Amino acid sequence: MSAGAAVLCGLGTWLPPNAVTNDDLARELDTSDEWIRSRTGIGTRYVADPSTATSDLAVEAGRRALKSAGTESVDAVVLATTTPDRLCPATAPLVAAQLGLGTVAAFDVGAVCTGFLYALAAGAGLIAAGTSDSVLVIGADMYSGILDPADRSTRAIFGDGAGAVVLRSGDAGEPGALGRPVLGSDGTGSDLISVRSGGSREPLRAHTADEADPYFRMAGKAVFRNAVERMAEVSLTAAQRAGWEIGDIDRLIAHQANLRILHATADRMRLPRHRCPVHLDRVGNTAAASIPLALSHAVTTGELLPGHRTVLTAFGGGLTWGACTLRWPALTPA
Amino acid sequence: MSSTYDRLVGLLAKSFGIEPDEVAPEDTFESLELDSLALVELTLVAQEEFGISLTDDDLHAKSSLTEAAGVLDAKQVTV
Repeated sequence: MSAGAAVLCGLGTWLPPNAVTNDDLARELDTSDEWIRSRTGIGTRYVADPSTATSDLAVEAGRRALKSAGTESVDAVVLATTTPDRLCPATAPLVAAQLGLGTVAAFDVGAVCTGFLYALAAGAGLIAAGTSDSVLVIGADMYSGILDPADRSTRAIFGDGAGAVVLRSGDAGEPGALGRPVLGSDGTGSDLISVRSGGSREPLRAHTADEADPYFRMAGKAVFRNAVERMAEVSLTAAQRAGWEIGDIDRLIAHQANLRILHATADRMRLPRHRCPVHLDRVGNTAAASIPLALSHAVTTGELLPGHRTVLTAFGGGLTWGACTLRWPALTPA
Repeated sequence: MSSTYDRLVGLLAKSFGIEPDEVAPEDTFESLELDSLALVELTLVAQEEFGISLTDDDLHAKSSLTEAAGVLDAKQVTV
């Protein structure tokens, strides 16, 4: 096959050190370990301290991905995040600089929880176009900075974290080569997952501060349903593009939003649930970071092995969704 | 009971492990301890089972199984 395929060749992750258990949350909010576990499957999430920014998490994950790939340089950095260090400029150039990558191309991608898959597709596109020979794709989010401290639902669900992969130009037939990504969006659902204030539609100004809502909001039921329907559909489309039947899919690495979404998605696809590894019980929903974090965990536990026909899929605000296939390569996550 | 009712009871058994002999037509989803997400899950599997289109508001926590079967029946009528 032609050169110009994007081959995944390194994987790194980073979680901030402060673990917050369900019991910790129950001391502060009207909730309980039983309530959170039965509705989300989540037991623990990690929360960065206030002196940390998304770029700090991204740099740590990026450094580890480069180490895992056995390289010190790439031609581009694509950072998926919905919680950039600042509204302007993008965070990726700072991350590239802090990683010692010099003046390489660097930009952010905003697709909320689907961000990592959009960034992966953008990185693969840079390679296919001949713009870059290697790309560091990072998913990093710090939702602790945008959650309403009084909202027991979102506080229970979201955690901070970062994960990254290195893509290099290679052959479409080799392990780690990405299949054709499948992406979609539906802006008619843009209100279902949003931070209302602070953008151009509703700028944060001193005189409007009383009515402003600077916090992340999510319409749980509608999101649940859309997530299941979209991830199941887009995963099947990606598998078909790879020439795979359902029974050929060894692992579905799905955005770690909610255990019941993972199960419902697998059921809808007629995929045995054990082929859909779970990581959210340990880290919560880490938004754009969840897929690389879940990949790393599945490799570490032996659930994801070299040669496994793997589908990555995600759903998030926008609304957005996506999926991509690959045969899992032999690599050691860092 | 209608076959729709029986199929609904079958879905409750398959998706939520609720034994058919433990449910009665007048039971509500709420009394069967199905939470709001479970109703969404049921909506998704019922769509597939009956080949119909359901909104998030078609099945209510306070609906009895008989009432829910009626909603599903109505959706299957071709006009």
